[in-house]
Amino acid sequence: MTPAPRKTAASPLLEARLALTRGDFEIDLGLTLAAGDVLALLGPNGSGKSTVLELLAGLLAPDSGTVTLDGAGLTGPKRFIPPEKRGIGLLGQDPLLFPHLNARANVMFALQVGESSALNRAQARRVADDWLDRVGLGGRGDSKPGELSGGQKQRVALARALAAGPRVLLLDEPLAALDAETAPHIRQLIREQLAATQTSAIVVTHDVVDAVVLANRVAVLHQGRIIDQGTTTAVLQAPRNPFVAALAGVNLVVGTVCGDAVEAPDGRIFRVRPADAAVLAEHAGALAQAPAATTRQGSGTFTVAAAAVFRPSAVVVQTEQPRHASPRNVWSAEVTAIEPGNGGVRVRTSGSPEIIAELTPASVAELGLQLGSTVWLAVKATEVTAHLR
Amino acid sequence: MIPRLLYIPASIGLALLIVPLAGLLLRVDWAGLPALLLSKEALEPLGLSLVTAFISTILCLLLGVPLAVVIARSTPRVAGLLRALVTVPLVLPPLVGGIALLSLLGRTGVLGEYLELVGLRVPFTTAAVVIAQTFVAMPFLVIAVEGALRTMGTRYERVAATLGAHRSTVFARITLPLVLPGLLAGTVLSFARALGEFGATALFAGNQAGVTRTMPLAIYTAFNGSGVTTDQAVALSLLLIAVAVIILVLIGTRRAAVLS
Repeated sequence: MTPAPRKTAASPLLEARLALTRGDFEIDLGLTLAAGDVLALLGPNGSGKSTVLELLAGLLAPDSGTVTLDGAGLTGPKRFIPPEKRGIGLLGQDPLLFPHLNARANVMFALQVGESSALNRAQARRVADDWLDRVGLGGRGDSKPGELSGGQKQRVALARALAAGPRVLLLDEPLAALDAETAPHIRQLIREQLAATQTSAIVVTHDVVDAVVLANRVAVLHQGRIIDQGTTTAVLQAPRNPFVAALAGVNLVVGTVCGDAVEAPDGRIFRVRPADAAVLAEHAGALAQAPAATTRQGSGTFTVAAAAVFRPSAVVVQTEQPRHASPRNVWSAEVTAIEPGNGGVRVRTSGSPEIIAELTPASVAELGLQLGSTVWLAVKATEVTAHLR
Repeated sequence: MIPRLLYIPASIGLALLIVPLAGLLLRVDWAGLPALLLSKEALEPLGLSLVTAFISTILCLLLGVPLAVVIARSTPRVAGLLRALVTVPLVLPPLVGGIALLSLLGRTGVLGEYLELVGLRVPFTTAAVVIAQTFVAMPFLVIAVEGALRTMGTRYERVAATLGAHRSTVFARITLPLVLPGLLAGTVLSFARALGEFGATALFAGNQAGVTRTMPLAIYTAFNGSGVTTDQAVALSLLLIAVAVIILVLIGTRRAAVLS
């Protein structure tokens, strides 16, 4: 191997330019990942997301293109470093724990097989048990994969992937195989562990919530090409084209925790469903004790980043102020756009972020909505989910 | 959930396999049995059979497992071709295998001619017995292991690679342990096949007492009655069956332990 060129401060950690054609399917894109970043690669099924990860990991060779990690070429003309020498880890939706090894031995495998590994068996055993502790499975080291639940297996797989010490971790729909009850826990665990280990990562997903919680940057993949990219908030809150909007498919309020609700940048307060409200309140309470664990805003006060998410069809539009007593979010706004949507008509309303309501054509006509109309919007708190960021 | 009708052919099938062996038991001269079994005519072929079948099985493992890996990880077209080639010895009558080996390694054979020049003579030696047994037994091992490898897929191997494991590490610590049930099944089959091998051995290795006369050849010799009684053929058969059953049970329990 030739020595890696000196790294300049400006150069990204991972840089890729990839082209691949398989029948009708085509990939042609460029990606960069800065050190410490988590990039969400967002796209519908069949958009080539998983293939991109295989190309980066060296499990598949592109027709043409380059992959550079920290200045060292991994893929290029006449150059193909095999996956085991890339320092790029992969965690898929199937945990793929080695079935003949128990949880501890699965993690030990990752600790011991690397070329630079200098751990003896006893050390590896101790470090593996530490890893299991960190993913909430302390004391389960002797369990065989068959004795663990889906969520527990994914915890072990995460520990194993991180224990290998990858320069970049690729996550391929890591929550797709988990039930709705388990997924949020694993999502938060991945967020915590990526932050704690300062691992740069690319997470492939079709779920906006994954992008919001795990990533600080988003690239949108459509038919093998990247059609939009930027910070998570910029890409998802103001979709630049209908495709991204449809993919996002949700109203996304990225803000801060305020009591047991989420405060938008423009000061609107979004109350959320009770279970999530309890989580928010708990973190707001923990804020006083542990300010270091939170992000620092420009104003100088410590806050907890959070996002509220709800479907456009959950937004009720009225022309007069509603008089309901049930817990709901009500505010007034101006109609800024009326456009065709997936399931009817999309009404975009003013504010930061803008909120989209989805109505039937009949109700748009009935309400007499026009550009500039002042409307009252209402969303039931039970329709709003909240996610810590 | 089995249709009841199936029990009829199933019973007939089982009877066809078991009743002849029971018939054999009826023919045994139990009084003379100890003497027959402890005679040189019985113990010598038994020892030779066990030793040669053991060596053949080791050879099958050393050559067959890598071959199975190559087939399982080839493109479908290449794999299909290789699989067909491996299966040929399986469908041939073993006699044909013996003729084939003889025409390759025999004194006037394609390769045998040159071996003769350097003073190596393969046919009618114990080595020839081992070669003949390996020839007929290896396809069983390759097919069993290849099937297990294909069922397993490459997903675990790919994950192991992304964890930084070198190919040889992946093979030893992931691939082999995961195909162990298939590997044991293939080993049992090929050992059994080697132990029972007759046709190719008879043609290629001959029937020399103490050198190439394995159990099946000893049984054939005894049965043809060249000086000995059919009683001895029956006794030898009984011995071969007993040994085979004991070995299969031993490996079988080991296999059950692995599978559980």
